[in-house]
Amino acid sequence: MKIAVVGKGGVGKTSVSAVLARSLGRLGKTVVALDCDTNPNLALSLGVGEDEAQGILTMRQQVDEGEVEHALGWDDLLDRFGTDAPDGVRLGIVNRIENPEPSCPCCGLSPERLLSQANFGDAIVIGDFEAGLGSYSRVGNEKLDVTIVVIEPTPRSIDVGLRALEHARSHHQGLVLVVANKVRNAHELEMITSAVGEASVTVVPFSEAVVSADRKGTSVFDEASADDFIAPIRQLATSLN
Amino acid sequence: MGDRAQRPLRVAFVGKGGSGKSTIAALFARILALQGEHVVALDSDSMPGLSYALGIDVDDAPLPDDLVVAGPKSGPEWVLRPDIDPLSLIEEYSVKTPEGVRYFQFGNTRGTWGALSRGQHAWSEVVKQLPDSSWSLVGDLLGGLRQPMNGWGKYAEVVLIVTEPTTKGVMTARQLAKLTNAKWGPRNIAVVVNKVRPTDDPSAIARRINLPLAGSVPECNVIQQAELELQSPLGLPGTEDVERAVRALVETARGL
Repeated sequence: MKIAVVGKGGVGKTSVSAVLARSLGRLGKTVVALDCDTNPNLALSLGVGEDEAQGILTMRQQVDEGEVEHALGWDDLLDRFGTDAPDGVRLGIVNRIENPEPSCPCCGLSPERLLSQANFGDAIVIGDFEAGLGSYSRVGNEKLDVTIVVIEPTPRSIDVGLRALEHARSHHQGLVLVVANKVRNAHELEMITSAVGEASVTVVPFSEAVVSADRKGTSVFDEASADDFIAPIRQLATSLN
Repeated sequence: MGDRAQRPLRVAFVGKGGSGKSTIAALFARILALQGEHVVALDSDSMPGLSYALGIDVDDAPLPDDLVVAGPKSGPEWVLRPDIDPLSLIEEYSVKTPEGVRYFQFGNTRGTWGALSRGQHAWSEVVKQLPDSSWSLVGDLLGGLRQPMNGWGKYAEVVLIVTEPTTKGVMTARQLAKLTNAKWGPRNIAVVVNKVRPTDDPSAIARRINLPLAGSVPECNVIQQAELELQSPLGLPGTEDVERAVRALVETARGL
């Protein structure tokens, strides 16, 4: 199963992806968390510490540095270049922007190609996408099983979210779900639900636990009083299962 | 206030999506204008946030395509038409705020990040050719690393990396600093820590990034609420602390 998590910058895509991944991991699933952001920080949210996170080489780097022969199978890439995160989650960071020189065209490792072409077998793959729609919109049609659009209650986030919903539907990117994140009251929820129409909405309240985990650089999944944030996403994980 | 003979400042704000670049850039530009400077606010974000922050009601105002012609073989793809003076384009195509900030937009690409339109090339050429003695420039770049990587803020002498006091912010800022140095050449780079709470330590954040701290801006519910209503936060009651912090940031940036 391939899941994409998309939305405007700063809405909480990475925190949602991480909690979803670890919840599924705890349910005993084989989970691949794929950091598709060129400014990757899913490792932190999964609970891989700052020092280790800073040192993780991306899959692209490892390919470019010639540690493998080119044109390696997509699935092998993850086995060989992934990192272990808590709850059995396998983390792959596709491509950090490090060096703007064009990379090897025969590999052309990008999140969109990886998700379009790799099979991943029985694993549940969660792709935490770069802000906006650029990379997501280049994933091949019908290549995803689920698209999760994360929206916070601001007009600009709703604007990006609606465009993501429209793109997901017109390109048949599987089941389309909305996560309404950082919701503080009924009025804010109404802003989102009235905008997205019939889409199924998971409501995640604003959580000080996320603020606190972000400051510490730890996973909100390991915070003591984070249940208001975790519970709705865990329920979403169970329903996807 | 009034006219102060200052050397024009050329500043670009970069940072992670959602860190508050647009708000700080808008405040920064407005303060310069109130101090009597000629200021152009440069918006190269395809999802305009700076226009909202400045209180301008433009959503889609790209430059016309016919301002550029094909460039020389070895040079850029498009160049400004020889009969066009970049300063006159600012006069003609920017939108003026009540405080006199000229808002100059790159053009809304709506959706995918494809090839640039000719109007967008024109924008880049105008910015490149502005004489550095005339206008102060305050730029708001797209969140994340793509635009900085491609040198979109090269007009800036001072690059301010806006970050929340979070580890993700720190890691993003390190990456931005590395890219800026590598791709734009040496620049004065410093950190602005935004949404700071009393329990946060902005100096420690700057130390972790290994850059000087240019400023620290407190968290502000009024600004959050303004964003919810697509309202400009400029001059709203309850934003005084933030404004004071950005005023201090302007003074620091002048000294960088």
